[in-house]
Amino acid sequence: MIIAIVVAIAAGACIVIARNINSILAEKKGLLTSTFFNYVTGFSLSVIFLLMSSESIKQSYGLFGTVPLWAYLGGLLGVAVVAISNIVTSKISAFYMSLIIFVGQLFTGIIIDYFALGILSLGKVLGGLLVVAGLIYNLYVDRKVKDI
Amino acid sequence: MYRLLSAFIGVLITIMILLNGVLSQKLGNYTSTFIIHLIGFILISIIVIAKKNKINFSKDIPIYLYSGGILGVFTILFNNISFNLLGASLTLALGLLGQSICSLVLDHYGVLGMRVVKFKKEKLLGLIIIASGIVIMTLY
Repeated sequence: MIIAIVVAIAAGACIVIARNINSILAEKKGLLTSTFFNYVTGFSLSVIFLLMSSESIKQSYGLFGTVPLWAYLGGLLGVAVVAISNIVTSKISAFYMSLIIFVGQLFTGIIIDYFALGILSLGKVLGGLLVVAGLIYNLYVDRKVKDI
Repeated sequence: MYRLLSAFIGVLITIMILLNGVLSQKLGNYTSTFIIHLIGFILISIIVIAKKNKINFSKDIPIYLYSGGILGVFTILFNNISFNLLGASLTLALGLLGQSICSLVLDHYGVLGMRVVKFKKEKLLGLIIIASGIVIMTLY
């Protein structure tokens, strides 16, 4: 349980550090080069992990056809996420970027739940609005001091 | 403009998690991580070739700047471990906590060459409102 909590927090830290590292590389070498190397290292490590795991391509080969085609498109969206993040990261504070992305995730999740499952979670809407309110307040504080 | 782009990244991530989740349920964690990176790698290679962009690996910059993709794989694995033990919403909330703490530290000290955004005490009120929003979301 404790390990799961630590690991979940570490995942968040990994996201922020990776985003910053990629954006520095983008500034030095260009947007496409940085995105390309992100996938060279990521792809290599995913191969190593696959070989170390109990799963194998041969084993799951027959299953590839059972997965709907659209489920394979996540990898394409990943490229867009990495590339756009490379542009934005150096422009705004890391903290606000994390929060605004979170707000975008949250409301997309609420919309998907509503249209796909017919569920509208009031707690999530209310909580999301509170996050937005706190965000706007802090942006206002920053605007006053005028360094963002 | 950049805030709008950030919100758009959030939209893309949510759809991506949904698609990748379906893939990992059917094919397993490691196979799906491999396929997701393979497809991404093919797409960025096509873009690089189509744009005739020269890729040069040079040693004049610190080698760790090339490690972003490695951290990306760990992000997926850590999320999967936590997702299976704690569920979706708690994983999301704890992940945001990790992101917030890490971003505030990076901002405050300007680590990794980012510009310094000092933490101000007035922002504590905003943080408390944000945290209470996250708690409400996690509980309901």
